[in-house]
Amino acid sequence: MTRALLGAAGLAGSLMLGTTLAFAQVSEIRMIEAGGPSGESIEVGYIKPFTEKTGIRVVRENPAGLGKVRAMVESRNVTAPITELSSSELEQAKALDLLDPLDWDAIDPAPIYEEAIDEYGLGWQYYSTIMAWREGEKPLTSWADMWDVDNFPGARSFPDYPNYILPMALLADGVPVEELYPLDMDRAFAKLEEIKDHVAVWWEAGAQPPQLLQDNEVQYVAAWSGRVTDVEGVEYTFEQGQLDLTYFAIPKGASEEAKEAVYQLMHVMTIAENQAAAADIVSYTGPSQDLDPLLPQDRITKYPTVQQNRDVQFFIDAQWWFDNAEEVELRWQEFKLGL
Amino acid sequence: MAGNVEVAHRVQPTSSRLTLPKLGEGFAQVVPALILILLLFNVPLVIMLGWSFYPLETPLANYEQIFTRSIYLKVIGNTFYIAALTTVACCLLGYPLCYWMWRLSPRWRLIIASIVVLTFWVSILVRTYAWIVILGNDGIVNRLLLTWGLIDSSVSFLYNQTGVIIGTTNVLLPFLVLPLFAAMMRLDRRILLAAETLGAPKGVIFWKIFFPLTLPSLAAGAILIFILTLGFFITPAILGGGRVPMIANMMDLLINRLPRWELAAAISGVLLVFTMIFFAGYQWLNNRQQAS
Repeated sequence: MTRALLGAAGLAGSLMLGTTLAFAQVSEIRMIEAGGPSGESIEVGYIKPFTEKTGIRVVRENPAGLGKVRAMVESRNVTAPITELSSSELEQAKALDLLDPLDWDAIDPAPIYEEAIDEYGLGWQYYSTIMAWREGEKPLTSWADMWDVDNFPGARSFPDYPNYILPMALLADGVPVEELYPLDMDRAFAKLEEIKDHVAVWWEAGAQPPQLLQDNEVQYVAAWSGRVTDVEGVEYTFEQGQLDLTYFAIPKGASEEAKEAVYQLMHVMTIAENQAAAADIVSYTGPSQDLDPLLPQDRITKYPTVQQNRDVQFFIDAQWWFDNAEEVELRWQEFKLGL
Repeated sequence: MAGNVEVAHRVQPTSSRLTLPKLGEGFAQVVPALILILLLFNVPLVIMLGWSFYPLETPLANYEQIFTRSIYLKVIGNTFYIAALTTVACCLLGYPLCYWMWRLSPRWRLIIASIVVLTFWVSILVRTYAWIVILGNDGIVNRLLLTWGLIDSSVSFLYNQTGVIIGTTNVLLPFLVLPLFAAMMRLDRRILLAAETLGAPKGVIFWKIFFPLTLPSLAAGAILIFILTLGFFITPAILGGGRVPMIANMMDLLINRLPRWELAAAISGVLLVFTMIFFAGYQWLNNRQQAS
């Protein structure tokens, strides 16, 4: 009896100690993310329920980039234990040994699509690179139209990122979607040469293309879907859009306590209801298999992953971009110098 | 005039006539600042340059890449070209402005000088974006030109080299105007009066006396503008429309996107050498000017 009591007291004591320790360990974690409306969607969809549940605050920093991850890892001072990476950046970060593997048992995800579960990353948000134009311009239905400046007159703005425009050049040149990869770089750059004089701005920030359309600076753009689907006076199509998934990962050397908190946050990110709340802020979607019915039905056509949009798009091949990253960037810069 | 004497005194110690024994006097007072600058500025710079020799098995590989893949030298060359054009634009705008200010009454001189200084108080970012509103295809200038019938379709001021040079000139003009104006104010007006008394026409006074006497200041200011333009990032990023590659934007790519810090460090090293050559020229002109 006494022993049992003692044992129970001991257990309770260690439990209490455990909880107080857990609370004492981290009260705040920092996160590096892409910023803009996407960052606000993280705040509302994931950080709010996470902080309510655990009491741990999350401070967002942006923009994201491999440089910051490398700086944290090499200085052995991981200030942000959770950082956003694009699909090709994730491959690059793995190759440079900048990440710690995720403990998927600790994350214990709700049902999500398989491509979102990576040894080093949680795929958390789908986005597309699509065609958009100023209201009143002739609507486009393919990248071939985008390249056809005679029938679709007007200035263009394209991304200053080869991975969002080289595949489009090949599609415009008549390469079938299923034969896109491995990309024929010579052919893609040759096609870009054809249109470069009509591209007024090569944009770097996602906020630029909608602004350029509204200012009537350009008439047609290739832009990230979430930046143009909710903009007044801008029309778009998901036809031949490039679907991509962005990841959250843990930089190598993050403390165990911080990792525990990150896993809990990642769990929150896999829940369909939270993803729906995030999708309400920006028209990007999370990886939950149960998400579609929870999305606002009146805006359903704006989301990149709903069936009707998924069917007309193609998925990026992150591995190819990783394998060819350096050569592509060099050729890209050389191409830009010839503008 | 008292103010000018003061300025002249303050610039005196940097002149080349400063001889060695004088250096010893204030040295103790300078030591703390010296240590601070060594630790916080020079040591990181050396570490950064050390990066350029990584990986150590092939210490010159990064430099080799700079000189074998033509792209890097082309971007450096393009940056120098933009810097040269900005310098010319600043000189052509700045010199007449200074000359005009110099001829004004003291009260107006103060007002105009304040307006020039005022631009320092507005963020570069805001000023750069303001050009979009003013010079865009649908901006104020193009709309006015269209309504007046001076042009048939919008002129592309932005998202090209012109846009970048407008932006850099706007930001850097005060850096030329303020020292040049100070130099003009230091000029002994009695020399000009003497020339006038001797019957020299206005043009001759300007070209034979005023211009040659202020030329070293203009040249020193021009080199300063040139060096400052080399590091511009925001302006080409916003007003260049991704079509005007400059060194800083290439660095951003190498550091944040690739991330190839070793190569970025090597390019920084090359740029540092070039900049130091230009800076030596600046110092030489500056010293010559103060010696005269």
